[in-house]
Amino acid sequence: MAIEPADIRRIVTPVAPVTREKMRADIAKMLHEDPEEIGGDDSLIDLGLDSMRAMNLVLMWSEGGLELEFSEFAENPTLDGWWKLVSARQDARAGAA
Amino acid sequence: MAQDVAAALEAAGTESYPLTEAQSGLWYAQRLDPANPLFNTGQYIELLGPLDRPAFEAALAQATGEADALSLRMVEGREGPRQFIEPSNRPVLEIVDVSAMPDPEAAALDAIARDMATAIDPTRDPLAGETLFVLGPERHIWQQRVHHLAIDGYGMILLTQRVAELYNARRRGTTPGGPPPSFDVVLREDADYRASARRQADGDYWRALFEDRPEVASLAPGNPVSAFSFHRSAAEIGPAAFAALGEVGARTAIPWPDVVTALTAAYLQRHMATPEVVIGVPFMARLGSGAARVAAMLMNVLPLRVAAPDGAPLDDFLGAVAKSLVRARRHGRYRSEQLRRDLKLIGGQRRLHGPLVNLLPFDETPRFEGLESRLEVLSTGPVEDITFTFRLHGTDGLRLEVDANPELYPEIEVEAHAARLKAFIERAVAAASPDEVPLATPEEAHRHIVTLNATAHPVPGATLSALIARALAATPEAPALRFAGRTLSYGDLDARSAALAHELARRGIGRGDIVAVALPRSLELIVALIGVLRAGAAYLPLDLAHPDERLGRILASAAPRLALARAADAPRFAGRVDTLAPEDWPEEPTGAAPEEPQPDDAAYVIYTSGSTGEPKGVVIEHRAIVNRLEWMRVHYGFGPQDRILQKTPATFDVSVWEFFLPFLAGACLVVAPPEAHRDPVALARLIREERVTTAHFVPSMLAAFLAEPSARGLALARVFCSGEELPADLRERFHRTLKAELHNLYGPTEAAVDVSYWPAGPEDLSRPVPIGFPVWNTRLYVLDERGRVQPPNVPGHLFLAGVQLARGYLGRPDLTGERFVPDPFVPGERMYATGDLALWRPDGAVVFLGRSDHQIKIRGLRIELGEVEAAVMSSGLVRQAGIVAREDGGTKRIVAYVVPEPGLEVETLRAHLGAHLPDYMVPAAFVALDALPVTSNGKLDRAALPAPDFAGSGARPPQSETEKRLAALFAEQLKLDGPISAEDDFFALGGDSLQAVGLLLHVREAFGRDPGLGALFAQPTLAGFARLIDAEAGEEDAGLGPLITLVEGDPDLPPLFAIHPAGGISWCYGRLGRALSPRRTLYGVQAPALAPGVATPESLEALAADYVARIRDVRPEGPYHLVGWSVGGIIAQAMAVRLREQGARVGVVAMLDSYPADVWRGEPDPGEDGALKALLAIAGHDPDRLPALALTRESVLVFLRATDSPLGRLPDAALDGVVRVVSGNNRLVRGHFHRRYDGTILHFRAALDHEGRDLAPAQWAPYAGRVEVVDIASLHAHLTGLEAVAAIAPALAREMAAAEQKED
Repeated sequence: MAIEPADIRRIVTPVAPVTREKMRADIAKMLHEDPEEIGGDDSLIDLGLDSMRAMNLVLMWSEGGLELEFSEFAENPTLDGWWKLVSARQDARAGAA
Repeated sequence: MAQDVAAALEAAGTESYPLTEAQSGLWYAQRLDPANPLFNTGQYIELLGPLDRPAFEAALAQATGEADALSLRMVEGREGPRQFIEPSNRPVLEIVDVSAMPDPEAAALDAIARDMATAIDPTRDPLAGETLFVLGPERHIWQQRVHHLAIDGYGMILLTQRVAELYNARRRGTTPGGPPPSFDVVLREDADYRASARRQADGDYWRALFEDRPEVASLAPGNPVSAFSFHRSAAEIGPAAFAALGEVGARTAIPWPDVVTALTAAYLQRHMATPEVVIGVPFMARLGSGAARVAAMLMNVLPLRVAAPDGAPLDDFLGAVAKSLVRARRHGRYRSEQLRRDLKLIGGQRRLHGPLVNLLPFDETPRFEGLESRLEVLSTGPVEDITFTFRLHGTDGLRLEVDANPELYPEIEVEAHAARLKAFIERAVAAASPDEVPLATPEEAHRHIVTLNATAHPVPGATLSALIARALAATPEAPALRFAGRTLSYGDLDARSAALAHELARRGIGRGDIVAVALPRSLELIVALIGVLRAGAAYLPLDLAHPDERLGRILASAAPRLALARAADAPRFAGRVDTLAPEDWPEEPTGAAPEEPQPDDAAYVIYTSGSTGEPKGVVIEHRAIVNRLEWMRVHYGFGPQDRILQKTPATFDVSVWEFFLPFLAGACLVVAPPEAHRDPVALARLIREERVTTAHFVPSMLAAFLAEPSARGLALARVFCSGEELPADLRERFHRTLKAELHNLYGPTEAAVDVSYWPAGPEDLSRPVPIGFPVWNTRLYVLDERGRVQPPNVPGHLFLAGVQLARGYLGRPDLTGERFVPDPFVPGERMYATGDLALWRPDGAVVFLGRSDHQIKIRGLRIELGEVEAAVMSSGLVRQAGIVAREDGGTKRIVAYVVPEPGLEVETLRAHLGAHLPDYMVPAAFVALDALPVTSNGKLDRAALPAPDFAGSGARPPQSETEKRLAALFAEQLKLDGPISAEDDFFALGGDSLQAVGLLLHVREAFGRDPGLGALFAQPTLAGFARLIDAEAGEEDAGLGPLITLVEGDPDLPPLFAIHPAGGISWCYGRLGRALSPRRTLYGVQAPALAPGVATPESLEALAADYVARIRDVRPEGPYHLVGWSVGGIIAQAMAVRLREQGARVGVVAMLDSYPADVWRGEPDPGEDGALKALLAIAGHDPDRLPALALTRESVLVFLRATDSPLGRLPDAALDGVVRVVSGNNRLVRGHFHRRYDGTILHFRAALDHEGRDLAPAQWAPYAGRVEVVDIASLHAHLTGLEAVAAIAPALAREMAAAEQKED
């Protein structure tokens, strides 16, 4: 499901780009863990992430206007896998802009 | 049918697969309920703007091609169901142009509703449909419908988004993302998970979590089986509340959707008032799965146990729920259907979870380039109970949708939940604890406390004694009292009561004093009561039947100044209080008039039993009782024409209005002789002879009275009930038996007799009968444990307030303070805690639910014993019944105490209840008594009921032949070694739905009958299911007479005559007759030629003439309702013609799939083979499935005996008769030429049958005024089976009622 920027009416100004470290920190907070505990290829499910928390993260990262699809995130829930998705979208956006 | 489909498909080059676990649950659910269209999930999207139709068509074609689950087809195989991709099933976009219609939108929505309401057969039909409605050049509606076997809610979103993505790519000329993985991935993941250690661990987690088997309830009692539609109501949770949810989420580091789930659980817990609730949480099961992006059915429902907040701070409560949710999701791939099997929660009414709470925290609406779109989700699958769905609405609000099963929840209740839950969540986010949030919305609270209690009404400020004195003086000549043939005039009564009052005053007795009255019913009793009141004192009624010890305690507590008692009874009072016998009362006023009492002086003191055993004296003031009497006089329009029966003992406060209301109304009081109040015969005679217009009955006494033949047809103006719950069934029996208004009143002694009223007239259909609305100047409150107002339909404690409250308990300020507490809603006033549980109906009427200390719960299910009682009474097998919940040896069971009709077999009654009630409501024991013990007030005396004998229960070995054989089949199917008892439950023994199918196969083989999977779920015990098998066999009574009674019903309703099919026996209609509501008598018309030596008549006309004569014999007057299956329908039509000729009234003429003789004439006579096949069919066998059976008379008879068919138990001669009748009927039909019946034929067509044959109900058109066709999804041979009867009975009952109304 695309959460498209046009519909996030509240957000009128783009926020800072999402970084790998921000993602790591957000995930860690959601899991009540230290960021260092989150390895790039650790299964986030094994670390205790559940779908509602994952969905919340995806919603959070898309607030800046990124088109992120939860279903893509669901296929491979690791920090590296997710960063690949986020960075690809950000690059595409930057290219289009 | 069952074949090795996998091999066959393989041979044809098609690979097939087993169903995934997620699909299997749905597969069996839809097999149980194949006609239910809610297995279709669906939605539509309105597209506004210039739609690029070629681009849309191309996008849709590509997306539906990628989503190969949409092309699945199911087949039933020997090893269970399988599926394969059927390329021709792939949905193709259908374009429907409705733009030329007068209202294009309505046309499109109509078509969509019709499409969604059509059940599909997944073994035959494509699972998905895609339609684009063209409403105008810039307006389209795109509808998608996909069977739940192929998709879930999230899958539908994926599919929709994919179409949008492909469309947008085309429009923009960009490259879309790659296709989602194929359905193979789903199959592979399913197979992997099934074989994994993970699955074992997940199962262990769930089994451990539910090891203690929590009691699971929901918002409505009853059996959660999806209806074919659902109610929906929606509410918006606005930006402010949504932002607050986000803040709570941020503060607690809990995702806001989990916050909403937890608050909804708290909301539900408050309704159920259980220590914990188990909700169902839909789970996508996609995170971390290769199938995450596949449009398919993966969704699971996780049972979530949520403990009541119990005062916990909000954040703690949310934290605990969120933790459970995380754990549940970690093990969320384990199917809940499997868990149900593990926990043996299959069958009956055993739930794994209550309401569903579904959070969809994503925006589902697709974006189409250049178009505006609006999504409407139509159905996400069957709604078994009630589902609360929260969808993200835009980005700053939530939409709450409440979907509910209309058979369990009326629409108004669904609307109320949407509004109430919204208000609850909005308040809860700001509350310190969920417990602090009131459940009722402010609007509900205001309506309940203020609007419904707006009862202010002016009442004379006078005392009861002043009102009576004034009335007595007004019409001195009018008759005031009738007793034992004597009459006392108003003038006489005035003089004698005044004389007694003067005598009391002479003795110094007056205001503030108490005078005991211990007289039997008599003229003197009335004189005594009025005399005491006129003296300014309060009267204290005493019952001399009470033991001395109790009498002594009351006298010591009340300290009366004097006792008015017969001289013979004086020794009972010796040493305690002086007595004055009636013979010593002066006849004329003697001297000084006593001092007038004031409105706040006590009028009477009545002792009630206290929970501790110490009687409590309730002190009622004049003001209170005057309000009660004046309300009653005005409300019911009492006047001088009335004659009111006094039969209630004076110690029971109902007697108070009987004693005094007549005099306020100028009416006459008819005093029943002592002890007559227990004697229905004497009462009926008295009411008739004395032309009584008004009488009161405690419901249990009313039941006994109505059972008295001489009471039948009595006419009164009105009858009042109070003192006990008025069962709805009794209300109906009342109106069938007597001609009178019936009113249900409620009130404790502590509030001047009655505080609420409800007209229980013949038009009242309430179940249960409410106690209704407050009387003048009175307020009723239903409050929760914290004293807050309950919303409608939520039980609470009943409190009373207003002018009628008692002063308190005599000499017991402690008890008074406990029960009479400050009214929180009206400062300065008191309210009385009744100890009763009640609820407000949505219309504002209050319903009594029982005592707060008698709450009945078995297996977490709320049980209304009144319902059990109604079912017992409706059996017609007992005269009276008292249903109680007993706790013996730590187990709570329902016990039915009954006064049986002669010849009652308990098993018959049990079977009747099994057919009318869920199994958990059927009493565990039945105790037959000569009479129900009653207290001196006429209420059921629970303490005097004997303990039932439970010995042997729980371990009764199988007894009947059927039970023994069925036990063997249970054991074989479940691979059990140990003994199986009659109470053992197939599912509790470990059976699952697959094994249930296997069991039924064997039952069919062994008994030749198959009550069906639904029946096994309803009656899973060995004894219960054996009963069903026996019932299936038709009546044990091998009645072969020409006219037999198959079902006994209401004698006031015209009976239904069922004409035998080809075999001449009409036992097959028993099930149909039992399914008719209201129950009417069903006669079976059978072939006289079944008897040896009786020849088949010459023609079908002659046969019909004979049958008409027979039915007119038992029922000389019409209307005659006729029904016939097959040949029976042909005969019924001929009978109808004949009845009309004779000038008789014909009601309904119904055919079960009969076709005129013309279509049979050309066919060859089936001969004896045909007759034998018919015989096998009658016995419940499909002859075509018994190819090995030789069709000779001998082998068929041997077979029938061997299979234990009831036909096999018939004497040889009778079996010969059947064969003869079958042949005879073949001949008669072929030689019959129909005449025209100038009325309507109601034709129940076996819609699943006759493929390729030229059989149509319209073929009757030349022979009937009108043919009305009702399609039944059944084969011809199954028309009297369970499923078909469920469809036929309501339609037939409706038509019969309509026909009767037309003729009246």
